[in-house]
Amino acid sequence: MQLENFLLMRHELLLLLLALLVLVFEIFTDDGKIHKIIPWITGLFVLVTFAGFLPQTEGVLFGGMFRITGMQIMMKNILNVGVAIILLQSAVWLKKPENSGKISEYYILLLSTLIGMNFMISSGDFLMFYLGLELATIPMAVLAAFDRYRNNSAEAGIKLILSSALSSGILLFGLSMLYGMTGSIYFDAINANINQSPLMALSLIFFFAGMGFKISLVPFHLWTADVYEGAPVSVTSYLSVVSKGAAVFIFSIILFTVFDKLSGYWINMVYALAILTMTVGNLFAIRQKNMKRFLAFSSIAQAGFILLGILNASEFGMTTIMYFVLVYIFSNLGAFGVVSAISYFTGKENMDDYDSLYKNNPKLSLLLTISLFSLAGIPPFAGFFGKFFLFMSAASQGYYWLVFIAVLNATISLYYYLLPVKAMFINKSETPLPVIKSDVYTRIALILCAVGIFGVGFYSPVYEWIYQLVLQFGI
Amino acid sequence: MMLTASQFMFYFFALAIVIFSILTVTSQRILRAATYLLFVLISTAGIYFLLNYQFLAAVQITLYAGGIVVLIIFSILLTSHVGVKFDMVGWKKRLATGIAVAIGAILVITTILQYQFEASTEAARAVEMRWIGLSLLSYEKEGFVLPFEVISILLLASMIGAIIIARKEEKNESNN
Repeated sequence: MQLENFLLMRHELLLLLLALLVLVFEIFTDDGKIHKIIPWITGLFVLVTFAGFLPQTEGVLFGGMFRITGMQIMMKNILNVGVAIILLQSAVWLKKPENSGKISEYYILLLSTLIGMNFMISSGDFLMFYLGLELATIPMAVLAAFDRYRNNSAEAGIKLILSSALSSGILLFGLSMLYGMTGSIYFDAINANINQSPLMALSLIFFFAGMGFKISLVPFHLWTADVYEGAPVSVTSYLSVVSKGAAVFIFSIILFTVFDKLSGYWINMVYALAILTMTVGNLFAIRQKNMKRFLAFSSIAQAGFILLGILNASEFGMTTIMYFVLVYIFSNLGAFGVVSAISYFTGKENMDDYDSLYKNNPKLSLLLTISLFSLAGIPPFAGFFGKFFLFMSAASQGYYWLVFIAVLNATISLYYYLLPVKAMFINKSETPLPVIKSDVYTRIALILCAVGIFGVGFYSPVYEWIYQLVLQFGI
Repeated sequence: MMLTASQFMFYFFALAIVIFSILTVTSQRILRAATYLLFVLISTAGIYFLLNYQFLAAVQITLYAGGIVVLIIFSILLTSHVGVKFDMVGWKKRLATGIAVAIGAILVITTILQYQFEASTEAARAVEMRWIGLSLLSYEKEGFVLPFEVISILLLASMIGAIIIARKEEKNESNN
């Protein structure tokens, strides 16, 4: 193995370097000065994000355990963009006095979960896939419990670790059956030896259930709302956007490339879960009064829409999934950015508190409106194109009833996405929230989201670019 | 039909695993549950010995039975009152759980028994330490150096996480 082959692992190595830098900085800095790391690490991460877009060769390392293709690089870049925005949004929260002792730990934990996701996306066997998944989950539970002096943050941590331990157990049981039948942990060897026996179907179901927990599909979603509500807002947005996106990517890669011969089984499962997830997520979202819980259930419903793309096991399906996740990152982070800015500066998180927000904070209200419109899929915004392509990919396989139900659900979602908009612009309030003067980081993050919501939708080469990369990967 | 000695040992260990596993999750005292878990892990090591896989058996005993159970017992002793007896859950819940578990177990067991596993064509051989060491550090196919390194990142992150969770927060305790 040549030393320069390590450059194929550029994303992972850069992130690891960054995490180690934070560690060293922490050792050599006085306790009171650690907050100085915030601009540095944010800037360096933006550089890492740009470096991810540099051209890179494709290849296979470690005897097939690590695979890198243009599509996987793109997936990692999409995640990096999301994390860059989240780091910008979390700067103001990290500067609060109660976090002064654990700034660097926040970065180390966040970066290590991202490294885990990257390894998971690049995995060529189930061992690396599982390790990446755990690396993306265990530090995440600590992040959820970051405000541990708040009871519900500690609760979020323990709920996340317990439910993910259970789902990992189910997943591993399925994988061990798979190993027993095929005698290998490598994706290509398993794919070559796959058979149509009931045991194979059972192992697929267990794998599916384990991943269902991570993506929070109904009926595996019960942990989601409590964890999202209890965790700090930055962590919630990380969980609902980046973590979910990574799980969706590897889930579809494995279904399309390893279990492709079993599509007769999993197409039906995806079909049923898509309907359940969209509908249940929507019906619960309508009733939520807390903005974080509201966005949690809306993100469950969005996961149901993503499943429409998985139904089309082709280049087209994969492209729509990646494109949707990219759009979803901008829209959801825009919404979370506004919610977190309001939460940090006023401590208010309920929808009633948003009454007449427009009066004192027109820019924030406008951005939240754009983001919610994009999430709902209203035309000029990127969210519309994301949903439209997903519907098209399912319709091209002939699933008209499913698309019909999805359109119905999109209409229902329009209702509840408009509720906060109505609160901000129409509802009268005696005591609207005061003028919120957000800091530079938050502003940059929100502007980036706004640019993304408009740009990704109108600039069609983005979609074409992803499509070409997926074509090269070959599904 | 007479059982051979190794068959007898297999059933002995298997029965021990099943019984102690059930006791682990049904025990009302947490320290007893941890002790039952110890027996489960030791019996599992016994099955590895039967399979002639001494290395894994040794790992199982030193790491799991020796290390992890001791860790669990320590954390129980440090954090909770050992004498506490957990309340039994209501019979409705127990019935529902029992039915769900029974259905799941029957489904999985019948499916596994139905499947015709192919016997490996390779001759059984003792696993040499040298071979384990080489494959652990090999970067070719069937080599495990990458997972080995990734686990070290996982352990580092987990340790930092554990420190965050366990550390006292001096400033806030005075404020609140």
